[in-house]
Amino acid sequence: MKKLLLVCAILALTGCANTMTAKVTMTWPSTPPDLQTACPDLGQVDPNTIKLSDALNTVTSNYTQYYICKDRVDNWIDWYNTQQKIYNSVK
Amino acid sequence: MFGWLLEQVLGHLPTWLWPACAGAGVAVYCLAHLLANFPNFKPYAFFIKPVSAVVIIVSVFMYGGAGVTEILQAQIKAQEAKIAVAEQKSSDANALLAQKSSQHTKIIHDVQVVYKERIKEVEKKIDADCKVDPEAISILNGAAKNPLGVKK
Repeated sequence: MKKLLLVCAILALTGCANTMTAKVTMTWPSTPPDLQTACPDLGQVDPNTIKLSDALNTVTSNYTQYYICKDRVDNWIDWYNTQQKIYNSVK
Repeated sequence: MFGWLLEQVLGHLPTWLWPACAGAGVAVYCLAHLLANFPNFKPYAFFIKPVSAVVIIVSVFMYGGAGVTEILQAQIKAQEAKIAVAEQKSSDANALLAQKSSQHTKIIHDVQVVYKERIKEVEKKIDADCKVDPEAISILNGAAKNPLGVKK
């Protein structure tokens, strides 16, 4: 009986040996479709025009295009940093 | 397949079953010890003792394992709760970003409209005063061209 108790104690210890840790990981979120749009090329002025207003219109549109694209890139950086911070908080 | 089946069966057994089995094994072992004193029951006792010993050993081992499983399941639940909170945060951040982005786009477009209106207002005057040389347009278009080539 003593031997049996000894074996039981040893087995209880081996059964309780916990070297594992539960690991459930978060999946990295997908990028919002808004940020996946590539920036278009700049607009061109009609080569046959001699009007300054046409050139000004195209340049203004290009400036707009640039700021929209800049905002997208800024948002990309912001999105990545925010998501990385959230992701690292559950590691 | 067998491992999965075993895991399904063992995973659904309540933890209290194992100390109960171990207790029953001890009781049977003691009973067999008593029965060994009676000549008629001695052969049975000889058989029951090792079986109850095995039951005790396996039950104690499984009780230890069940404890570890409970700890792991608690860890998994805690982690899943943390992930659910993080996913909500991530989704909120995405919604906030989308809102910010649409506001910025609207502001940029509104500013463009203002400048296009201003161009319209002075269009006739500037077009009359200034004729643009085609060479200037060519330079402007050349500078606006993507140096890395056309996007596919």
